[in-house]
Amino acid sequence: MFKDPDFGKKLKNQKALLLLSIPFVVYVLIFCYVPLFGWIMAFQKYKPNLGFTKSQFVGLDNFKFLFRNKDFMLCVRNTLMMGVINLVLGTICPIIFAILLSEFRFNMGKKFVQTVSYLPHFLSMIILTGIVFDVLSMENGTLNKLLMGIGVVDKPIQWLAEPKYFWWIVGFANRWKETGWDSIIYLAAITSINPDLYEAASIDGAGRMRRIWHITLPGLKPTILILLIMNVGNVLNVGFELQYLLGNDLVKSVAQTIDIYVLNYGIGKGNYSIGVAAGIFKSLVSIILVFIANTSAKAMGEESLY
Amino acid sequence: MRRLKRAAAGLMALAMIVGMSACGKTGEKEQKTDTVKTADGKEVEVKVFSAFFAVPGNEVEEGNVVQDKIAEKIGAKCEMEWLVGQTAEEAIGVMIAGGEYPDFVDASSGMKSMVDAGAFIAIDELWDNYPNIKNFYTEAEWNSIRAEDGHIYIIPQFGKTWDHDTTCVHNDEAFWIQTRVLKWAGYPKIETLDEYFDLIERYIEANPTMPDGTPNIGYEILCDDWRYFCLENAPFFLDGYPNDGCCIVDRDTHQAIDYNTTDTAKRYFKKLNEEYKKGIVDQETFTMKYDAYISKLSTGRVCGMVDQHWDFNDAELAIKADGNLDDCTYVPVGITIDKGVEEHWHANPALDVSNGVGITVSCKDPEGAMKFMNDLLDPEILTLRNWGIEGVNYNKGEDGVFTRTEEMRANANEQTYINKNLCPYAYFPNYSNGMDHDGVNGCDANHQATEFYESLNDEIKECFDAYGVKTYVEMLNAAPENEAWYPMWSYSNALTTDTPEGLVWTEMANVKHEYLPKVCIADDFDSAWNEYLTEYKNKCDVDGTLLPAFNKEIQRRIDVAAGK
Repeated sequence: MFKDPDFGKKLKNQKALLLLSIPFVVYVLIFCYVPLFGWIMAFQKYKPNLGFTKSQFVGLDNFKFLFRNKDFMLCVRNTLMMGVINLVLGTICPIIFAILLSEFRFNMGKKFVQTVSYLPHFLSMIILTGIVFDVLSMENGTLNKLLMGIGVVDKPIQWLAEPKYFWWIVGFANRWKETGWDSIIYLAAITSINPDLYEAASIDGAGRMRRIWHITLPGLKPTILILLIMNVGNVLNVGFELQYLLGNDLVKSVAQTIDIYVLNYGIGKGNYSIGVAAGIFKSLVSIILVFIANTSAKAMGEESLY
Repeated sequence: MRRLKRAAAGLMALAMIVGMSACGKTGEKEQKTDTVKTADGKEVEVKVFSAFFAVPGNEVEEGNVVQDKIAEKIGAKCEMEWLVGQTAEEAIGVMIAGGEYPDFVDASSGMKSMVDAGAFIAIDELWDNYPNIKNFYTEAEWNSIRAEDGHIYIIPQFGKTWDHDTTCVHNDEAFWIQTRVLKWAGYPKIETLDEYFDLIERYIEANPTMPDGTPNIGYEILCDDWRYFCLENAPFFLDGYPNDGCCIVDRDTHQAIDYNTTDTAKRYFKKLNEEYKKGIVDQETFTMKYDAYISKLSTGRVCGMVDQHWDFNDAELAIKADGNLDDCTYVPVGITIDKGVEEHWHANPALDVSNGVGITVSCKDPEGAMKFMNDLLDPEILTLRNWGIEGVNYNKGEDGVFTRTEEMRANANEQTYINKNLCPYAYFPNYSNGMDHDGVNGCDANHQATEFYESLNDEIKECFDAYGVKTYVEMLNAAPENEAWYPMWSYSNALTTDTPEGLVWTEMANVKHEYLPKVCIADDFDSAWNEYLTEYKNKCDVDGTLLPAFNKEIQRRIDVAAGK
């Protein structure tokens, strides 16, 4: 961009804007980039009393340890699987919910449903896990009572003791909490679709389903793609609290995520180097994922993030 | 334009301030102080120290009566924080990473990393003016506490006895059972694991529900994080060995034995498996967190479990406070795997050198901190800490014997009253097992046999009378003299992943955490057990790495005790 002949002029014209952006640049520098200096720990056998300067450098040993470690690879798998489940459910559910809401006729009812639906977003994770524990409990748990009441099962299921259910419990608990909140942005996008299109379509004889399929969904496409790209970058950030709080020894092999591993090794066992190495790995994978999602969106000729 | 410039300059200045405060943490230079009101209404200024103890505990409320009284007498008090919702290692790890500490820290299982991080100051360099601290332990005991560099960084608070041991409560591990179960069966003598579960089975069959209709639960197994000892360490007790924690030590050959793979272990887990399938063991037991466990116990529905008394003490306080659940409190039964094995559940207090309170490098007034701990060991202050205030928390008879009224006893059991009024400074050095310095009384109400028995509710008294005992400790065999190597857990607790034996120790915990619950709920016990053993032997080199390290430590301790 320095080849731009008008660069100096532009700079001068937009001086005020540049000055205004300084605080935010400083903020990002201090809180996002300066801490990256700590990544140096991943290449050291870091000891807190020796500090960065005196700790011994060990090259890539910490990474080698990680990739040879079965437990860590399990964590990577679990994180990815829960991330994908979360991504898929987290994309589909809010869209469907937003469309259903927008088709709602009574304004009062619509507002009420919407408000109720995003209230769980404001609950803390510890309360959410409390609710999940209660719903899935073997004695008096809502879900078990329901299933037994309609005769699907004849004795209560131990939901949290079975590894095969765990990812889905996490996925749906997240959905229960976030669907309402996530749908807000889609609702906003739907209201910005030109109403003339719907009118024209109904004159041409399109029913409700047709209108959703041919007008609402295409209208939502740019929003969906942008959010998808951003969420792909977050696939590995499937969280930590929910798995940490819901997990137990019986489902350990499917409940441990990279974040929990970082906590256990980095903070818990005082092996900061391994913890940082695992964190770096996670960041790199996330960047690569965003890059892939963005490039493929571009290649398809659609909206992209950058 | 000028206004814009000024605004920009302001923003820059703001950003710089933010930056500077982020980099240069100067902190306060002065020791924090506060004022307390004396009995005659005057206000005196006292030093305020801070402390963090990496164990769960109860917050003392602002204006706590005994705390202020002690502050008035010694000119200092301490604000204490306890572990909440984290493990000790996590909490301590965060502190070390940040490099800022409260004045006092007991790091619990994070002790080793605190010392490694250079977070404690050496107490032995300061202690010459503080005789109560210096004389708290004998020379030999201090030597066993010294770190590798020869300095003393922590003071183990517990296990110090004044005069002779007067313990009434078995505060350790046991198979516990509710008195209502024993009462129903006519107070039988329970000696083996089979008899224990047989009794619970028969009781549950005859009494499926509580009086209010909620179902009784036969047995709970707490299996949350480090508290999974409730599941995993019973086998060495069942074989008649004391709580060495990490291994059995053969009394003749002084060799460490792995208790995880003994026949007794297999029989114990097989029993749990059977009881789980029969529905005696709570079906949800392995998905429970600690708080869920405590709340289940607090309802009085649970007939029995293995646990350390201090670990479920909160639940027992809740049961006692309820008023209608007097027959639901627990007594320990000293059971073994077979008849004829001498049980060893109760042990004399041991010096645990792996835990203790230390003064950190962040403390601005180390001399003041030393004085504070020194003063807390003053006889008058000890009585205040352990008994409370005369005339309020206890009465003194003409013969000098302390007694309590019903109301005083009730208060001492009620958490809200305790938080407002009592302040034992529990994690500071204390003479916690023996006599008061007056030579007449026990060091606290729980160590005063007469007072202790009188304070019990009728159900427990009836139970004790039936077995001809006066205290919880007497329910179990009298503890023999501690062996030189006891307790080995003070060694295994300090293992880190830096050493090969530490790695095996960690891996072993991982495997056990994953497989033991599976073994207990498996449809086919034998194949699950074999799967566990295979994994255990593949992943953990116990015989080749861990046991030799234990043996070396056992021999070292025997040598130290022999003065070599």
